[in-house]
Amino acid sequence: MTYYGLNTEKPLIMHIDLNSAFATAEQQAHPSLRGKPMGVTNRLSKECCIIAASYEAKYLGIKVGMRRTEAMAICPEFIILETDPAKYNVVYQKLVAIMKSYTPKIKMKSIDEGVLDFHGMEPVLGDRTLSDIGYEIKQRVKDEIGDWMKINVGIGPNRFLAKQAAGWHKPDGLDVIDHRNLVDYYKTQQLTDLNGIASRYEARLNSFGIMSPLEFLEAPEYELKKKVFKGIVGTYWYRRLRGYEIDDVDTHLGMVGRQWVVPNPTDNAKHLLSCLSFLCETTGMKLRFREVEARGICVWATYQNGEFWQQKRMHKTTYYTNNEVYRRALELFNQRPPGTVRTIGVYCYMLTPSQRSQLSIFEDVAKQDWLTKAIDEINDFYGTSTVYSAASLVGTRLVKQKIPFGGTEYFDLLLKRS
Amino acid sequence: MDPTIYINERIDVVLMFHANSSERLTCVPWKMRYKTREIEFTVFGMRHATQKGKRMVHVFDMSDGVNDYRLELDAEHLTWTLVSMVEGVR
Repeated sequence: MTYYGLNTEKPLIMHIDLNSAFATAEQQAHPSLRGKPMGVTNRLSKECCIIAASYEAKYLGIKVGMRRTEAMAICPEFIILETDPAKYNVVYQKLVAIMKSYTPKIKMKSIDEGVLDFHGMEPVLGDRTLSDIGYEIKQRVKDEIGDWMKINVGIGPNRFLAKQAAGWHKPDGLDVIDHRNLVDYYKTQQLTDLNGIASRYEARLNSFGIMSPLEFLEAPEYELKKKVFKGIVGTYWYRRLRGYEIDDVDTHLGMVGRQWVVPNPTDNAKHLLSCLSFLCETTGMKLRFREVEARGICVWATYQNGEFWQQKRMHKTTYYTNNEVYRRALELFNQRPPGTVRTIGVYCYMLTPSQRSQLSIFEDVAKQDWLTKAIDEINDFYGTSTVYSAASLVGTRLVKQKIPFGGTEYFDLLLKRS
Repeated sequence: MDPTIYINERIDVVLMFHANSSERLTCVPWKMRYKTREIEFTVFGMRHATQKGKRMVHVFDMSDGVNDYRLELDAEHLTWTLVSMVEGVR
């Protein structure tokens, strides 16, 4: 028997994943859509993109990321709705409340998935296994959120294996992967079934003769580190595959920004500047929401002919107000080459904790801060863009904030504005 | 296709307040009158609270077994609005 050096620790990590979260929430709210192929999009239009598809739609071959026309070609009865952030927030908040009632150590990975860490909770668990708790959470989701809501539960000794287990038997599955069934599990999977391994990593592994997860597991650490991944990532994968925790790290906030796809690509500077101004306003709001100040700024654009342009600048002093972000972004944006712009984006980097509480000896700096505080308070109280810069007049009407993918850091900010 | 029909009209609603039920079902619309028709709800979809400016609005997604209705209670003015409906297949 081959010795793999697996982590034999009791599996105490639980991964919870809402099945087709947005689509299922809509089916929960609309009983007439249950059992039908349907999806959700951010902005309803002829060529809009599907951001969540129901299981009935997925069964027909309709995938997330498809255009509406492609989905309609597969299924002419395909139903599509616009997103409703407030509704998904209720589902999210209730899911978080359920998870927090079992352990204080939870981390939401995105709006529809989270991780519960039961380390240190063994005395509280008593005789109950994590599988018992998993089934109880499934039932509570049905009782407290809605009877149509289904979740996948995965249990493992580390975050990677817990997530793999959650995706093993979709929808509505509950699986445990530990040292006893890990090798058998890998035998049933493809390399791209592993989270974090997509086509490029697969090609790299294949070029070293690693064709399956089992061969990946059997590969020596030295080979992964020195040859395949050429770095510490190889060691991480070596340990991750064996059930050792690698991914319990807090991500560092590196940049804050906004980007926007221009619906009708244009070279009209007046139109683009108004949109840039609005993007800078939301970037400033994000900076203040995260309680940071920035020193660096980058503005970028993609052109209709496929070209990409970006310009970066580092400043000596930090900034956080909308006006300051826009002023600095404008200096760079005015240096762009001429052409029809398809996408524009702005982001701030070199972030440091906010020092707004310190009084400034310069009166104009203090005035800027008071003005920003006043505008933020008015917008918090009265809702979306009640007060905004005149430069953003056109942009405010055109650029809409929609559902954020990935992290949930800005969800509260989005809801204030929705 | 988007099956939503937008209505946005004030309606009469009869409510049920349950003393001993889960938080989800504490307050549930029972029936409504819309254009002289009385519609009784048989399925409770979801309720969520949201804000329109400073006003708190409670959104109820209800169904009479065939069609789905989105009702909004303006918590400041205590008015009920039938916002939209989705026609099901009978």
